[in-house]
Amino acid sequence: METSSPASAAPVTRSLATPSKASEGRDGAPEPTLIDIRALDFYYGAKQALFDINLAIPDRRVTAFIGPSGCGKSTLLRCLNRMNDLIDGTAVKRGEVKIRDVDIYGPSVDPIELRKRVGMVFQKSNPFPKSIYENIIYGLRIQGVKSKTKLDEVVERSLRGAALWDEVKDRLHESGLGLSGGQQQRLCIARTIAVEPEVILMDEPCSALDPIATAKVEELIHELKKQFTIIIVTHSMQQAARCSDRTAFFYMGKLIEFDETHNIFMNPKNPQTEAYVSGRFG
Amino acid sequence: MSAPANPFAPRHGSLRRAETAVAWAFRSATYFILLCGGFVFGNICLKGLPTVTGAFRGLDHFPYVTNTFLFEAPESLYVFEHDGKKVEMGDAEYRAFREAETARAAAEGLPAPKFKAKSYVYASGGIWPCIVGTVLLVVGSMTIALLLGVASAIYLSEYAREGPFVRFIRLAILNLAGVPSIVFGLFGFAMFVLYFDWNVSLLAGWFTLAFMVLPVVITASEEALKAVPRGFREGSLALGATKWQTIRKNVLPYALPGILTSSILGIARVAGETAPIMFTAAYVVRDKLPWEVEKFGDFVFQGVMALPYHIYVVSSKIPQNEYTQRVQYGTAFVFLGIVALIAGSSILLRNKLRGRYQW
Amino acid sequence: MPPESSTTPAVDSTVRSFRIQKERTRILGLTWDECIQGFFGGNAFVAVIVLGLITFFLFREGSSFFTQNRDNLTIYRQAGLEYVDFGRQQEKDHAALSRYLSDLRLRTLRHYTDQEGLPAKEAQARLAEFDRFADRFSSASKPLRSLLSDLGDVAVDIKARHQNNLNFAEKRRQLLAAGKTAEAAEVELVPIDYAGEVAAITATLPDFAEASATFAKTLEDLIATPPALPAPELTERLTRFQALTRDYLAGFPATLEAMKAWDPARPVPLAQSFTAFVFGRQWLTASFWQDWYGVMPLIAGSLLVSLIALALAVPLGVGAAVYVNQLASPTEQRLIKPSIEFISAIPSVVLGFFGIAVLGEFLRVASGWSFLAWVPGFPFAERLNALTAGCLLGLIAVPTIFTLAEDAINNVPRAFKEASYALGASRLQTIIRIIVPASLSGIVSAILLGLGRVIGETMVVLLCAGNRIAIPDFTAGLGVVTQPVHTMTGIIAQEMGEVEPGAIHYRALFVVGLLLFFIALLLNFFAQKIVRKYKVSIG
Repeated sequence: METSSPASAAPVTRSLATPSKASEGRDGAPEPTLIDIRALDFYYGAKQALFDINLAIPDRRVTAFIGPSGCGKSTLLRCLNRMNDLIDGTAVKRGEVKIRDVDIYGPSVDPIELRKRVGMVFQKSNPFPKSIYENIIYGLRIQGVKSKTKLDEVVERSLRGAALWDEVKDRLHESGLGLSGGQQQRLCIARTIAVEPEVILMDEPCSALDPIATAKVEELIHELKKQFTIIIVTHSMQQAARCSDRTAFFYMGKLIEFDETHNIFMNPKNPQTEAYVSGRFG
Repeated sequence: MSAPANPFAPRHGSLRRAETAVAWAFRSATYFILLCGGFVFGNICLKGLPTVTGAFRGLDHFPYVTNTFLFEAPESLYVFEHDGKKVEMGDAEYRAFREAETARAAAEGLPAPKFKAKSYVYASGGIWPCIVGTVLLVVGSMTIALLLGVASAIYLSEYAREGPFVRFIRLAILNLAGVPSIVFGLFGFAMFVLYFDWNVSLLAGWFTLAFMVLPVVITASEEALKAVPRGFREGSLALGATKWQTIRKNVLPYALPGILTSSILGIARVAGETAPIMFTAAYVVRDKLPWEVEKFGDFVFQGVMALPYHIYVVSSKIPQNEYTQRVQYGTAFVFLGIVALIAGSSILLRNKLRGRYQW
Repeated sequence: MPPESSTTPAVDSTVRSFRIQKERTRILGLTWDECIQGFFGGNAFVAVIVLGLITFFLFREGSSFFTQNRDNLTIYRQAGLEYVDFGRQQEKDHAALSRYLSDLRLRTLRHYTDQEGLPAKEAQARLAEFDRFADRFSSASKPLRSLLSDLGDVAVDIKARHQNNLNFAEKRRQLLAAGKTAEAAEVELVPIDYAGEVAAITATLPDFAEASATFAKTLEDLIATPPALPAPELTERLTRFQALTRDYLAGFPATLEAMKAWDPARPVPLAQSFTAFVFGRQWLTASFWQDWYGVMPLIAGSLLVSLIALALAVPLGVGAAVYVNQLASPTEQRLIKPSIEFISAIPSVVLGFFGIAVLGEFLRVASGWSFLAWVPGFPFAERLNALTAGCLLGLIAVPTIFTLAEDAINNVPRAFKEASYALGASRLQTIIRIIVPASLSGIVSAILLGLGRVIGETMVVLLCAGNRIAIPDFTAGLGVVTQPVHTMTGIIAQEMGEVEPGAIHYRALFVVGLLLFFIALLLNFFAQKIVRKYKVSIG
């Protein structure tokens, strides 16, 4: 079924062929860029929501998007797996988004395949009204995986990956809706990693959780970044400071500053960023 | 010592009296409606129940209209005097009786007896063919309406993007809902019966009724689909499911109870309408039951008797008197009972469903 | 290749190929998903198609009504029926005057027996003079009547032969279509010399003028010497009768002029066929003389019944909506709402039967109760009339109005109500000044939709409205509600089963259906428009 396209067949090293975008990591090592956003303009109907965004998101790091409400951070996040396609009247008018040098808005791209590679966790946990087990394997089921042993294995691996296995291993066949809020959100994360995406987009995943559940999810994010590239939209600056490597600050649909997290918080270059992180507005 | 005047004490005055009066006026309007509805319902139940239970048989020796009322075909009723007594007989029994009497008279060498019987058409026997016909009409038309309606609702709720095209469709649905049922009857007669040359047939009735109930089904289904949270769809799509996979696995199963429940109200409407089937599917009287056809293909091309049309016939085409009343009330009672059962269960189920699904 | 890349071997080994293209199976250039979407989209279009088909078929079957009706009116003229009808109208008016006289006789008789206490025999004797007068008055038209009757026979004969010719032509066409040329040739059409034959009728104009003049003279002489009546009130009526007769006689020359000017060859314009339908005051079918398809009586009947229904249903429905939404306890709400919905499930044919079996009789008996005698139109003798049907239609409209009005009231933002209470308004004040005005457009559209439901309702009016095809006599004031009427829906249901497809009568019924269809669309349109406006105003 799958035919290899020129882009995917390209040698792996090609993804590293853009050193200018790769910046220095904290340890001084250069970080390869995974997602490269260039000059992106995005519209809701006639209203422009994103203005000329240029951003290079490194592989296997946690990148946080912060900014006041309505600054476009969620919109940008949803651009990355084309969830915005589902909303009427939205359009990328200019610019491109490349993941591993593949333009995801290119004509040959299948958004459904894209979403298999770029998973998403939503603000409000949304487990399906099915059993925990069925929730996890949903993504594989629709890809046509039938083997019971494979599915069992994936369920365990995903739940362990989401640090949920010990809590639910005895009730895999009970409804996912019976879990607590934090558990539900981790179930959604487990469901996402079951499909083995490369990138996990998290849209304010902790905004509906209490501090203890939030701490667990943050801990999980730390674990996950070994395997996945994570982009997290958050309202909480503390959360961004705690769990992200890089932070992008948005304001009024524009990217104001993008840097190492500690630079953004300790030593912002832009006065607007400084005003925001020091709590003077937003 | 007088207590200090309480500034918040209720004030009595004309305003307060007016308030009470108006509240009572509203209340009595409400209860008057319920009273009227209840009276109609009660009247028909009280007078119709004896027909079905067969109480009439015990009371006035009514021949056929008994609990077999439900399972026999309509017959004429003959009323005559015999041996100074008033006798009532159904058609078949009357004929047998007459033959027997004539034979007996011949055997005894007497002149053949004369019978002066008054006949009341449809006033004896039961309504079995009508029940069968109504059930067939309802099942067929609801199948068509559900297939078309649910598919249409899926499009409107899941695929369609707001625009002139969808607005146009919605406008059409709204307007279709307001078209009088007799106009559907005319339309069905012109298109199915005459133009397609299906004659007065089940098929013509099915399509006419299905088109009539289509707006109800679409609206109900769309509502049920809209009640499924967005998160189910987004979650599924974010996992790389296609739209159709999402709908089939993660939307339809949760909307289906709602769709079916609300569509039951459509069934009540289909079962209750007379005007659309008058010229498209219903016969005044038909001796054969629907399954007594020569070849299977004829099944859908035959007209049937139907309860609502039978009520129309027995209440307008035959006189009102003590002999016909039983069949009239009995038919109305059975029909009302069926429709009430359907509608009632729909209302109950819906209230139950509202409480159950909390996502 | 940049040198940095070689320093990240760990990344290299784990990087998976990023493959987001997929060749999906395509059918006619569409993916499977697009096909499914197309399928559902097509189904959504069904509603539009059905609406289109309804319009198309109603037009298809109904449109040629107007040309057929023109032919109908043309033969009415060509055969001279129109001409004869001038005279017949005169005769009819005379009959009406005679009826006035018999009414007067009845009153006089009652005066003698009730007021003066005379025995019946003597009272009759005293009326002898009046009777002679009345007899002479009514028999005065005899010569005229026989003349008209002869003329009518001639005209009807022409029309009958015309009809025969039409039938033969149709038969021949069918035979030809079936390829039976020989048999078709045998079917013979008898040509009719319309002008010549009608000339025989118009030639009698001098006779008619003469008969008419004699007739007028007789009447004039008669009313110059009226009989004496015992009471001033009765005399007054007689004077009125004299005046009426004089007016009647004054119209004679005009009639004569119209007959003189009448031209059988004048073509009937299509517009006249249209106006004859829309403004026609008679719906008369299967008549030996002339069929009329005037929709006025049906529209008037439909409107009358609907107005009665709304007069009952609007206060009840809206009142109940306000009560349930604003005043009732939660328990009441839980019980009342489904109960009223339940009423809407009662099939209309059952309500119609209830009207025949119970309500009609009850209303007739109730109208005879002496303490209700002040009600206009009471007592009445017809069990089935506009009132009976209107009451039942009211019961049908109540749930519609209730549900929609309750929705509208429910949509008034809670904040409005709370703000009003916070300002010290009472419950009633809040309802009247805040809730009802804010939901008024919703309530109005509910009433419009209720009206649509009622106008389109068939079985109840068919069974209970009395089915008399005549414009109700609105001069009776409110009492008009007790008259039997016929309606647009009722006439379709009643006559559709008996007509021959393709005939003018069949087409006329379709045009009535078309009219109903457009009335329903119009009501819907206005209801939606009002609701849209309201949404904008709330913000």
